[in-house]
Order: sequence, then structure tokens, then C-alpha cells
Amino acid sequence: MKSPEVPTFRPRLKVLNREQTLAIHNAALEILEKIGLKMEHPGALGILVDAGCNVNDQDWVRIPAKLVEDSLSSAPKQIDLYDQQGNKTMPLINGNYFYGTGSDATFTVDVETGERRRSTLKDAANFARLVDGLENIDFAMSMSNPVDAPIEDIYVHVFAEMVKNTNKPIVFIADSGKDIAKIYQIACQVVGGEEALQKKPFILNYSEAISPLRFPENVMERLIFCAEKRMPICLPSGSNAGGGAPVTIAGAMALGIAENLAGLVVHQLVGKGSPFLFGPNVSTLDMKSTIVSYGCPEWSLTQAALADMRDELYGLPIWAYAGASDAKVMDAQAGAEAMFSIITAMLSRANLIHDVGFLEYGSTSSLEMVTMANELIAMSRFFTDGITVNEKTLALEAIERVATGAPGSIFLMDDHTFEHFMEAQFLPKFLDRSRYDSWEESGSFDLYKRCNSEAKRILSEHQVEPKPTEVLKGIEQILHPH
Amino acid sequence: MSDFKALSEAVNKGDTKTALVEAQKALDAGSSAEEILNKGLITAMNEVGDKFSKGLLFVPQMLRAAKTMQECTKLLQPFFQEGDVTSKGRVLIGTVKGDLHDIGKNLVSMMLEGAGFTITDMGVDVSPEKFVDKTREVKPDIIALSALLSTTMPAMAQTIEALQKAGLRDKAKVMIGGAPVTEKYAQQINADSYAPDAGSAVNKAKALLGIS
Repeated sequence: MKSPEVPTFRPRLKVLNREQTLAIHNAALEILEKIGLKMEHPGALGILVDAGCNVNDQDWVRIPAKLVEDSLSSAPKQIDLYDQQGNKTMPLINGNYFYGTGSDATFTVDVETGERRRSTLKDAANFARLVDGLENIDFAMSMSNPVDAPIEDIYVHVFAEMVKNTNKPIVFIADSGKDIAKIYQIACQVVGGEEALQKKPFILNYSEAISPLRFPENVMERLIFCAEKRMPICLPSGSNAGGGAPVTIAGAMALGIAENLAGLVVHQLVGKGSPFLFGPNVSTLDMKSTIVSYGCPEWSLTQAALADMRDELYGLPIWAYAGASDAKVMDAQAGAEAMFSIITAMLSRANLIHDVGFLEYGSTSSLEMVTMANELIAMSRFFTDGITVNEKTLALEAIERVATGAPGSIFLMDDHTFEHFMEAQFLPKFLDRSRYDSWEESGSFDLYKRCNSEAKRILSEHQVEPKPTEVLKGIEQILHPH
Repeated sequence: MSDFKALSEAVNKGDTKTALVEAQKALDAGSSAEEILNKGLITAMNEVGDKFSKGLLFVPQMLRAAKTMQECTKLLQPFFQEGDVTSKGRVLIGTVKGDLHDIGKNLVSMMLEGAGFTITDMGVDVSPEKFVDKTREVKPDIIALSALLSTTMPAMAQTIEALQKAGLRDKAKVMIGGAPVTEKYAQQINADSYAPDAGSAVNKAKALLGIS
């Protein structure tokens, strides 16, 4: 007789109760309705006025709760991101989670010398190539604010490098309505036109409002562009506790959510039903150095809270961060902080999780950090998948065989072990479990050195499926017209 | 004469109420405003700055101390005599054109003011022309430029060029700061100094003017 299937519980982190989510949401609505915000884009301001918002002092606008509720119900509950070959690799919905790198690091740890130096276009290419070759990194961001790209088109050049070096989805930055249009053109080149891109988007724009409650013109240009083109966008503000926002987490979240909701209202008024990835960045401003921390427990806590708010109230897929550190080198602190945010983001089921591989509070990118995080994500996934309980995994027959079998019977020799050990165990690649002598014999390498070798190996051996020549030509045309 | 110990302690603690009482007491007891400023307030703020750079104080505590000092300076204002040295120097500060971020710039302003500098804060998105005009008007010893975005960094260079063209570059020292800014970039664009954070901005400003 077959025993009935036992459902598997997958560990899930919850940090807010319903009363807390409602209280934060209501505070966000109150910010928009009573305090208002500074909308510096005349077009967006006009749209808000037409929709029934009140304006004072030229550009100070208050948004009624009704508009917010409308935009929450018209925004799609699922955003599908595709890879550049048209495969749906990132369905952002429910508890699906995906990890990727971050944008715009000023510095990079040189993979050859270990030196921290200004990042370059070549770094943007290297990071994209590494992402392409790592199985647990699902999308690419630039990881580089290149010193050697023409500044007026810096994001266009960075985007072109990424497209040439990975076929995974890309989250990109732009400066204004001008360069985002060029980036959009490149993306159209890659998939064969505007219609194809809208049907199977592989790009998502990352833009930021300025906390507290300021919406600059160039930021809104990008938002409106994306809403019109139905290109996915997220608009987190830097509502960091103690910096752009109040020092207490609840208030910082309420402000960040209010800013996101304001963006969503404009976005849905421009392009009803266009995809909008929800979520502020609520980290904390360090009270000694005044850096915005990338290793603090607060940021992990606020995004776990946001996941609860998604489940209780919003229903929209959310933006998050993980796998980064405030440490200056990839040391024990970097490992501890990276793992803390990676596993909590996963356990709270954040959907699109960026910034993997940052050191120095996001100022420095490290290929080794990304490589390490790839393994930490695998480790976390093993944990999050829970324990499958069924006849096979309970393995009573194997127990009987070994316990009652001939002398010398051991589990290691049993067929059950041979058949199941690959999926029954987490098999680390770079987390070292070797015995001391063999570790010493193979060079006494620490995790940083092992990740460095692996990153170098991937950069030299991994083949990125190249783009067709005509696509590359088209990109070249956009970068260098005439 | 008073050693301003109670005043100094109040500034250190950021206790504005007590500091104002103590400053008034010192005035009543016959101390000059200049003396109270230099031996009481600025000495106390130097201690605060020291403690902060050693990691013994947090930013909000340091800012509260700076605010306390400012309130006391306001109280002393009517009592300064002609010729009193009441400022370490004049600083013109602003976030450069195209950049709307101001947390870092505001922090630097407060720190410099706490250290005894006189600040003219031009806010955010300040064009090179505006920097030039204001430089003519307030004749600063230091012009401090801030940028958070790498896309707005070139506006720092443009501002310095504009000062050069207007014949004002030699009249003031230029210091720059902000997340994407490096020492090397400061050299490239012919700035005199670069400060990686608000605390070191004070030391760099003092070094530029050759004061301690």
C-alpha cells in the first residue's frame, strides 16, 4: 500500500502582523494626502492635477488615497522577465525569488591585482560575463560606473557592454528621457523590434526618487517613458533610516512606501496596467560614518516587512537587495553580512533581489563576492526548500537493510545512498570541507582565493552565446551614429 | 577669569539650554564675547570634533553640539567688538548643477560651522555662473562643491573652469566631495582639496587655510 503524499513546508519568515502592515500603509497614505510631495516634472504634475490632486506652491502636490488604491488595483500582479533569447526565466510573482548584481559601483576590486581601483567599461563586461556563467545569479546589473565611458552617454555604453556579455535579463540605470530612449533602442535591436520587446521584456529600469518626497524632472521622464512603453520599472527612493527618512524603521518604511505609491500613481495614470516593481530601499544611515549600510540587519528587516505587506495588502512583486557588505575586502565580515541578507531575503520571498557582490557599502564591486554569493544562494535555497517527507526519504527499507544486513553493512554502501545523495545533500563547491592535510597540500587557499580562481576561470572559459553580427552593428550605430 | 568649564561641558553634551545660560553668565561676569567664543565654544567644538573622529560620538550628538554652539554664537553676536576674530574663514558651499542631493552637503555645512567657519549655503543644483556671482559677492576663503552622481561630477570641473575664466580661481581655495569623487579626480580638475567625508572636510578646510 502506498502512503499518502505529505506536503512539504517551505520555511518562510514573517516579521509583521496584519495590524502592523495596515498601520504602516495608512501612515503612507497620510503622508501623500496630508503632507504631499514635490513633483518637479510639469507633465506629471499636470497628470496628477487632472486626476484630482491639489497643488500648492507651484509643484507641491497632495495625492488622495482613492488614487493610490486605484493604481494598486490596476498595476499587474505578475511581471515576467525573459532572457535575451525569449525564455521566461524570471516570473516575478508570489514567492518566486531571483538574485542579481548591483549597479554603478565607483570602484572595483581588480581580479588580477586585488587592488581597489576606479571601475571601467571592461569591468561592466566582466561582471555581465560572470553573471552569465553563474547558475544562481539570474540577472545582471552593471556593477561599474566606468571612468572610461563618455559621461553624457555613460549608461548607454554600459548597457551595450552588458548586452554583449550576457543573455540573462538586465536591470539598467539611465539618466533621463534621452539616454533611456537609446537604451530602449538597443534592447529592441537585441530581440528584433519594439513589439517583441514589449511581449517578452528582458530589461527593467531602476530609477530613484529623492527622499524625502522629492520627484526630480529627469527621474519622472524615465518613469513616464517606461509607463508609455510598458517597460518594467522600479522606483525605490533612498528612504534610509536617519538619512532620507526618520531614524525609526516604521517611519522610514512609511515614507519609502509613500514615495513608491506616488510613483505608482503617476505611472498607472500614464500607462494603466504597465508593469511596476514595488518597493523602497530602506536601509540605515550609519551614525558614525554616515554611509548607507549594505550589511546592516535593518535593511533585511525592512524588506522582510515589505514582503509581508505585499502578501497582506499590495499583491505586487517586490524589489529587494542581498549579498552585499560594508567590509572593504572580502573578509569574514563580508561573508557574514552577505549571507545574512541572502538567506533572509529568500526566507521572506523577496522577488527581485539585487546588489549581490557589493563591498564597501555599494561603492566597490567584487567578482569574488558575486562568486561566493552564488554558493551562498545555493546553500540558502537548500535550506528554504525544506524537508521532503515521503516513503523514499524516510527510507525505512534502507534502515532495515543496513541494521539487519550482513556484518559490515553500512549506509554508504547501500543503493539508497547511491541513488539519492546528489539531491539529498547540499554539495558545496567552494565552501571548503576538505581535511586539513589536503587543504594544506592544495595551497592553503581561503575562500577569497578560491573565488578569485573561479571568477578568473569563468571569465576565460565561459562562452556567452554571441549576438548576431547585424545586432552588434545596430548597437554600434546607436553608440556611434554617422 | 572663567575657564568656561560648564559652558564647554554643555556644548559637549549638546545641552543648548544650559549652554545659553552659561554663556550669558560669562558675559555678565565680564568675559568678552570674543573670549567666550574662542576659549569656550570653539575649544569645546574642537573637543567634540576630536571625540567624533575617534569614534566616541555619533553624528546626531555631534550635530546637536554644533547647533548648541550656533545658538550661543547668536547670543554673543551683539557683543562682538570691531576687529574681533569671530570666524575661521568664509566658506561658500553648494551641490553642483544637475544634482539635487543635499544630505552630505548639509552635513559638511554643519560641521564647518561648528568648527568656527562662516557658511554661505547655496543649496542644490547650483550652476557655475551662480557660483561665480556668489563668489564675487561674499568673497569666500573656500568654495566647497558637492556631487552625489557620477553624471554630475563634470559640473564640478565646469564650476572650477568658470571661476578660472572669471579670474576668481586664485581668490579662493576649492574643495570637493561626494560619493563618486576621488583624490585623483580632484587633482584632474584642479581642485585644491578633496574630503571623503564630513569629519575630514573640517580638517581639510583648516589645512587649506593653514589654521589649526
